[in-house]
Amino acid sequence: MKSKQRSFKGGYIFGRFENQPKDIVSEQGMPELAVIPLSQGFGSEAAPLVKKGDKVEAGQIIGRSDSVISSPVHASVSGVVEEIKSVSYFRRDTRMVYIRADKSKKDYRRLDGYAKDWRKLKVEDIERLLYSSGVSSLDREGIPTRFKSSIIAPNDVENIIVHGIGSEPYNISLDVLLSGKKLLNFIEGLRILNVLMPNAKMYLALNGRKIKLAEEICKITTKHAWLKVITLEPKYPQGYDEMLVPTILGKKFPFGYSAANIGVVVLNIQAVISVYEAVCEGKPLIERIIALCGPGLKEALHINTRVGTPLSDILDSRLRQGVKTRVVLNSLLTGEKLTDFFLPVDRTFSQIVALPDNDRREFLSFVRPGLRRQSYSRTFLSSLLPSFDKIADTNVHGEARPCISCNYCDEACPVQIMPHLLYKYVKSNLIDERLMNYQIFHCIECGLCSFVCPSKIPLARHMKEGKDKLVMQGCDKSQCILPYFDLKGIEEYRGAKEA
Amino acid sequence: MKIVRKILDLSFQLIEKNKILAKFKPVLHAADGFFFGVDKLNIVPHITDYIDLKRYMSFVIIGLLPSVLASIYFWGWRVILVILTSYIFGGMIEVAFAVVRKKEIHEGFLVTGMIFPLILPPSVPLWAVALGVMFGVFFGKEVFGGTGKNVFNPAIVGRIFLTICFPQIMTTTWPKPYIGGLGGFMRLSVDSVTSATPLVAFKGDHALLPWNELLFGYGGGCIGEVFRLGIILGGIFLIICRVSNWRLPFSYLFTVALFSFLGNKFAPAKFAPVYFQLLTGGLLFGALFMITDPVTCPFTKAGKWIGGIILGLLTVLIRAISGYVEGVMFSILMFNALTPLIDHIVLSIKYNRPKI
Repeated sequence: MKSKQRSFKGGYIFGRFENQPKDIVSEQGMPELAVIPLSQGFGSEAAPLVKKGDKVEAGQIIGRSDSVISSPVHASVSGVVEEIKSVSYFRRDTRMVYIRADKSKKDYRRLDGYAKDWRKLKVEDIERLLYSSGVSSLDREGIPTRFKSSIIAPNDVENIIVHGIGSEPYNISLDVLLSGKKLLNFIEGLRILNVLMPNAKMYLALNGRKIKLAEEICKITTKHAWLKVITLEPKYPQGYDEMLVPTILGKKFPFGYSAANIGVVVLNIQAVISVYEAVCEGKPLIERIIALCGPGLKEALHINTRVGTPLSDILDSRLRQGVKTRVVLNSLLTGEKLTDFFLPVDRTFSQIVALPDNDRREFLSFVRPGLRRQSYSRTFLSSLLPSFDKIADTNVHGEARPCISCNYCDEACPVQIMPHLLYKYVKSNLIDERLMNYQIFHCIECGLCSFVCPSKIPLARHMKEGKDKLVMQGCDKSQCILPYFDLKGIEEYRGAKEA
Repeated sequence: MKIVRKILDLSFQLIEKNKILAKFKPVLHAADGFFFGVDKLNIVPHITDYIDLKRYMSFVIIGLLPSVLASIYFWGWRVILVILTSYIFGGMIEVAFAVVRKKEIHEGFLVTGMIFPLILPPSVPLWAVALGVMFGVFFGKEVFGGTGKNVFNPAIVGRIFLTICFPQIMTTTWPKPYIGGLGGFMRLSVDSVTSATPLVAFKGDHALLPWNELLFGYGGGCIGEVFRLGIILGGIFLIICRVSNWRLPFSYLFTVALFSFLGNKFAPAKFAPVYFQLLTGGLLFGALFMITDPVTCPFTKAGKWIGGIILGLLTVLIRAISGYVEGVMFSILMFNALTPLIDHIVLSIKYNRPKI
């Protein structure tokens, strides 16, 4: 482990926001009606294998398309298929399988051919287990197997990055994910991945505030020359692939493409644990640990829930009554707003944050000392006394004003572009190659520029608008990237994006 | 709080009825926003920083407070009258433009209205203050399109206008500051006793004041620029709070120091020594409060360094060689004019080919 923590230029370390999830895991229990999207995680939608009225068992594969890049989808409960219909799910029409659960059956069907001692298994058996468990669809580019689960083949992988940075305002707790025996399972999972992708060096990046955990893992894994444990500052957006690759590997990232294109697989902790569970316990990917956090909840904690549980089952009893709340998926800076509570939890969820929609006006707000106010500038008392939990709400905290070029956005920008300059071009509708020269396509839409702006300009949105307009004008953004990289799996990547 | 709300509600009702008064809605909106903040919600990202321009600008005022208090001590309570005049007349221009443009009143004027009186001579007549600030806000800021679009620092524009039109007010009469005891806190205004400022004294007969006297402001000068200790503290406070950027003041002061060191070595008759250059005139005030105005200084990092060097060279050259004793004001004006060019050149070098 290196003593000096590597990092990147720009970025911002958030303070501790109020109502962080406690280190306990509560069992959510079985849903009455499970709603299972046929497209979860990386890959295109799977074709349904069941029809209305069919009896299904938990763990049974109900959707699978072996010909395209995808991974199988499982029934997460035992019961009867009530309906299969297309629903708008994160602004995409996705077919959903509705299963009326039989609550008495809590067991699930295990995968064929799993083995407690996985070293006896052949590599192709491990790959089959990973594929048929659905684990191969986790995270941004999935885990490569010889089945079409990712855009590259396992042998093309040069580096694997497993990370638990937690740079978001609210994060799932590492202590929960790696408590007790799970830590050993996790390391076993890393070993499995090493056998699966033998050419790859593996990096485990952990939050720099969890030194003890990192040291413990170091102790267990000293023999493994292929594994390197690194601690990184929890500086937002360190958890993004675009930031992990340059900070850990020192490689340049092909912005607009994926890490897999340069032979890097980025996984998070929970995915590795699922790898272990699939291979050694034969458990399909039907359960997930999700952190429920934010001041909009009565109690912030972690839950262990079946995939397909409708949000209303989870949130209805937990949301604070009497206040308008906004529920956000995963990230407070970029996450989707969850409005339809009939929609389910899927494999990609890791945090659900509930914030009060604070539209109250505050008397002389700008002269208050601000002991609990998060700010990039150091103009509040909170920067002198950082130990107080910060307020999290959705108020804009100020009036919209013209840009004064205060440089907050380009200081905070993790990819070293100038959001305020690009914003001025986009706003005055000067969409031409100058934008491309100023590297608008490097923007990773982390939203930090919008967060820090004292003039309350939604810079990130304008950047996205600028990119979209450029592409609409027929600008070929690949010409900023392709000549400089030797990318793998480009055709597959395009196919997966369009599907 | 309730009283303010009531007054605002009443005035809103009042101007709704009257057609002519209705044009002054921006004033009420500004007051409303000032007292009660906003009720708008974010879209994405879902949380935003608590900093807003009101907080940002009021921190500049806090940074200026040591200078303001010291100026009352040195020049008497009339200083407050000068500041009020500046706010009232500059504010009128601001309101007039907001009414005509049907736009909101922005906070930037809070700073301009405070900085402008601080760079005037202590005995300045009030009519000159009013005229200067109106000219400065009109031609320095509003004709360019208001906050965020101005090329020149409005306070500098107003000050230069006064210097050129009324040189006898602006350059000849420098009263002696009150020193000792309660100083100006017990008086209304300055005596008619005049003395030369340190820079004038140097230009005339090479008289040098010791550094500690300059630091505490015994030498005389403009209203807010003499108490240099307070200016340094205020400036450092702003830099620590991230309200102003350290690069530009640093490169400016460093260049002045280096250049005057060299000049003093080779032509001591023309160039004053380093400490004297740094601690006289408006140099510190200009470096820490005027050029750091984010709108009128280069926004690129390299541009900030380059701009500081240009500023430093100009200032020392004007002080040493030209007929004027003080070079800060003119060099800031020239620097403001060069700012877009500097940024343009820096950007075209930085992004001259698509880099990965």
